[in-house]
Amino acid sequence: MVELWDNYLWPLIWIVIKILVIVVPILLAVAYLTYAERKVIGAMHLRKGPNVVGPFGLLQPLADGAKLFLKETIIPSSANRAVFLVAPMLTFFLALVAWAVIPFGEGLVLADINVGLLYLFAISSLGVYGVLMAGWASNSKYAFLGALRSAAQMVSYEVSMGFVIISVLICVGSLNLTAVVEAQRDMWFVIPLLPMAVVFFISTLAETNRHPFDLPEAEAELVAGYNVEYSAMTFALFFLGEYANMILMCAMTTILFLGGWLPPLDIAPFNLIPGPVWFALKISALLFIFIWVRASFPRYRYDQLMRLGWKVFLPLSLAAVVIVSGVLVAFDMVPNAAAAG
Amino acid sequence: MPKLTIDGKEIEVDAGMTVLQACEQAGAEVPRFCYHERLPLSGNCRMCLVEMERAPKPVASCCMPVGDGMVIHTNTEKVKKMREAVMEFLLINHPLDCPICDQGGECDLQDQAMAYGAGMSRFVESKRAVPDKDFSPLIRGVMTRCIHCTRCVRFANEICGTSELGGVFRGEHLEIGTYVDKAISSELSGNMIDLCPVGALTSAPYAYKARPWELSKTESVDVLDAVGCNIRVDARGDAVMRIVPRLNEDVNEEWLGDKSRFACDGLNRQRLDQPYVKKGGKLQPATWDEAFAAIKAKADGLDGSKIAALAGDTVDVEAMTALKDLLNALGSKNMDCRQESSTVDPNVRASYIFNTTIAGIEQADALLIVGSNPRIEAPVLNARIRKRYLMGGFKVGVVGPNTELTYKAEHYGDDPAMLRDIASGAHAFGKILQNAENPMIIVGAGALMRSDGAAILAACKTIADATGMIKDGWNGFNVLQTAASRVGGLDIGFAPTDGGLDTAGILDACGDGKVELLYLLAADGMEAAKLSDTFIVYQGHHGDSGAHLADVILPGAAYTEKNGTYVNTEGRVQQGHLAVFPPGEAKEDWAVIRALSGVLGKTLPYDTLAQVRARMAEINPVFATVNEIQPADWQDFGPSTVGGGDIQSKPLKSHIRNYYMTDPISRASETMAACTAEFSGEAERTGTDG
Amino acid sequence: MSFIDRHLRSFLLAELLQGMWLTFRYMFRPSVTLNYPYEKGPLSPRFRGEHALRRYPNGEERCIACKLCEAVCPAQAITIEAEPRDDGSRRTTRYDIDMTKCIYCGFCEEACPVDAIVEGPNFEYATETREELMYDKEKLLDNGARWEVEIAQRLRADAPYR
Repeated sequence: MVELWDNYLWPLIWIVIKILVIVVPILLAVAYLTYAERKVIGAMHLRKGPNVVGPFGLLQPLADGAKLFLKETIIPSSANRAVFLVAPMLTFFLALVAWAVIPFGEGLVLADINVGLLYLFAISSLGVYGVLMAGWASNSKYAFLGALRSAAQMVSYEVSMGFVIISVLICVGSLNLTAVVEAQRDMWFVIPLLPMAVVFFISTLAETNRHPFDLPEAEAELVAGYNVEYSAMTFALFFLGEYANMILMCAMTTILFLGGWLPPLDIAPFNLIPGPVWFALKISALLFIFIWVRASFPRYRYDQLMRLGWKVFLPLSLAAVVIVSGVLVAFDMVPNAAAAG
Repeated sequence: MPKLTIDGKEIEVDAGMTVLQACEQAGAEVPRFCYHERLPLSGNCRMCLVEMERAPKPVASCCMPVGDGMVIHTNTEKVKKMREAVMEFLLINHPLDCPICDQGGECDLQDQAMAYGAGMSRFVESKRAVPDKDFSPLIRGVMTRCIHCTRCVRFANEICGTSELGGVFRGEHLEIGTYVDKAISSELSGNMIDLCPVGALTSAPYAYKARPWELSKTESVDVLDAVGCNIRVDARGDAVMRIVPRLNEDVNEEWLGDKSRFACDGLNRQRLDQPYVKKGGKLQPATWDEAFAAIKAKADGLDGSKIAALAGDTVDVEAMTALKDLLNALGSKNMDCRQESSTVDPNVRASYIFNTTIAGIEQADALLIVGSNPRIEAPVLNARIRKRYLMGGFKVGVVGPNTELTYKAEHYGDDPAMLRDIASGAHAFGKILQNAENPMIIVGAGALMRSDGAAILAACKTIADATGMIKDGWNGFNVLQTAASRVGGLDIGFAPTDGGLDTAGILDACGDGKVELLYLLAADGMEAAKLSDTFIVYQGHHGDSGAHLADVILPGAAYTEKNGTYVNTEGRVQQGHLAVFPPGEAKEDWAVIRALSGVLGKTLPYDTLAQVRARMAEINPVFATVNEIQPADWQDFGPSTVGGGDIQSKPLKSHIRNYYMTDPISRASETMAACTAEFSGEAERTGTDG
Repeated sequence: MSFIDRHLRSFLLAELLQGMWLTFRYMFRPSVTLNYPYEKGPLSPRFRGEHALRRYPNGEERCIACKLCEAVCPAQAITIEAEPRDDGSRRTTRYDIDMTKCIYCGFCEEACPVDAIVEGPNFEYATETREELMYDKEKLLDNGARWEVEIAQRLRADAPYR
């Protein structure tokens, strides 16, 4: 009995607790990200944003959640029921499952696997399936077109994202995310790899279907893109998934370029603030840029979007791989040279 | 042929034309109110003023005969100013009540004020006001709007021949009215509404119901008498709002009888809108399938000779064709479209049509009317006779009812025996006919419905032959039918052949039980006693007397609700068009019969209207050409073909007693009921009433 | 030179950053939002809100069923049926406006010869069901009675410019 407890039950409960400790703050963050988005864009539009529900409208996300929860779930009569219902779950699940490998601080990681970066990249690539399934199962031309656009866009930008990650990788010499962060103890990668950081950030905008690359949702042409047929909780899951993805992408950018949980300078008072706080602050700053970009720029045309992905970012990131590895080899700075050699 | 110059364009016109007509010919538009092509000139609105060179003043073009070398201007600045001035004068006393005026939207004054008016008035004093006049149940008179063009007065005097209207008082106080308080009794009175260029005379039943721009307009043909007047059906949504005449010089010119015009409210009342089947002595609502099944239950195994059909007065030829083919398929020859048993020869077309044609009346110079009152049987045709009469040199004799025909006619009593004398020339009018260039005879349907109808028809034919009515290019023998379906039914052969029973035979056979299934195609007015044991299928559009007898009722379409072919009394094939859809579950009549034929296992070989029409043309080639008359050959008909017998000395009468109610539609009409109370009631009322 | 300039600007994201700087500055400006249910903006006398059918001061309804509003309505939202009233005057028996079709163009009040149909100042008439937005004559006359004072004032204010 005790053996069962020690060997199986307690580890399981401990893992569930750890998951909850990660997931609940993330969901709260997602909720308040929507609030922040509306407030920030409101301010930039000289509006007020939500200010009625609760003090400063702080309860607005909860009210929205309650509303979506209480609404009727409509399943279109011609939709493929199973796929239609699985699609939002998949999106939501994938957005959360990626957080397993994110290091929030030194050693603060659910699964410190040595292919963390690859895992992250794989999970974010899987996100396209949720979108495709939703678009196909809705049996609606708007949803279908939106899904196709979305899929094409995500696939295109993943290519350049992949090359950017490679150029970071060759600087680090490991796929472990903790190692990636540790490698930036002297200098954040954003400084030597600034162009790549910009390319990566813009690609994350496209990867998360955010402005100015929100063509899949182009209200004017496609009503709301792949999720046009969704309502109530199914829609809420998409919504949560998308925003969780945004946070995930910002976390990824932080880890790759902004030194993760590391303080900007390793001196007091910076190094007195715990790592997770730095990590959260950096993510918040990136999220602010996400929102800021949304408030500033109009939507891209689809051909411009594709041109940017394939004819600008792809050559740039390819060149970066060559240049970075060339520089590393030339100056004999290849990390773990012994291990690699 | 005088030559004149209009707006710099030289034109040659017939002598005797007016300047206005010449302008029209030259393509110069001249506004007018009082001038109307079919009415005498009056020249009192002054709207048609034009400038004529070497004339000291502007001339009223409608009254100015053309002269050689005239130079006319219609588009100069001066003419424009004159028109603006005349318009301003006309509008001085015309109220600004277009929003509540039924003429609004189709008003000559409104249109011309827009086109030729100055746009404003300098008149600030009080306007004249005239009390409204209640002219009849059909015409509302809002006399404040009257601009005194006197079109209505001239119409009443010239076309109607009932001098009931006129102007009283002078100058600003002039009022158009009936002198004493009485209703306008002419059966053409509705045309005054069309003639009135303003909203002074408007339709009473149509009052405030619709605006002209809301109406969908469908060109069609009238079926409430046999003249086949060309009409336009104005419908709003699913209801016929009004019926107005359409120009056809050969048939109705631009007139329409009051019944045809105003009975349209009957189309929305007492309608059969779903099938009924009699169960337990009571008619119960049923589905089409149940109704057809009930007919099939009766018809299955029934010998063809025990089945018969009668067609009513307003049935379209398509339906009769389908029913005829169905009956033939079932092995029956018992069918007749002459539901009141008039004796004509179905095989000789000349024996049942109006051979002279309506327009041909204008060539005639002597007319004998036998047993007919054309004024109520065909008011528009009567107006044509009056038109001919007004040209002069036209002698009319009447053997039949002594009524006011609106023209001078010698009445020779109502004894049909006189026809022999006329034929032999012993009678004074016989000589007149013999001496006439183009003599004609009109035999009323009423005369042919008598039991001695065959003898009367024969006598009339003898008159025609004896007085030279039949010659090259002229056929003066005319039967004036009163039912729109009659000529079409006879043309399509909806009549007994090879020993089949005619109407009287069918009714007798029903009484004896020799006919067990009787199909009434909108045929009403049967004697109920004889039909009590017969299984009766009634297909029609109104719950009239025929429907009360029925065991199965199949709802059909009225004439405004189907595309139908009708043949008027002249033998002119005309097509009516669907203006609104039949109410409820009612369907086009031929389609009902086609569907029934499928249930009965004798599927008719046509599925579309075009195929039915092709079948009609196959039966009788006259149906191949629409709107034109195919002259009928003069063949022998008379005792040898329709049966002889002696003329009885009953007085000749018209069979129509009440002009306003002759068919299910007009019987269902409230307007026609009001007219009956106003006009017919007066004659029949005795001193003890009220 | 311009080639280099152009490409340099685009690779350095100069314009994008400029635009972002603009929106960033705007973030700190005071907002112009009205606290709607408690604060309201001014309404022009020509504001076209909820429809109303007016009456004359003696209580007689103005509408004379001329159907000009029905004819001019570009959304075909108005349905009118008319017949003579017992006293012989021309009145509507039915005057329906489908407020879900209406596009608030104001042509009906322009067309009305007797100022009967007007679009009043009221714009707060949201309903819970579509059916409630199918206005009939009774509802419109009721609106007229409720808003008459303001409607008359607005018509007076706008009269000199018509």
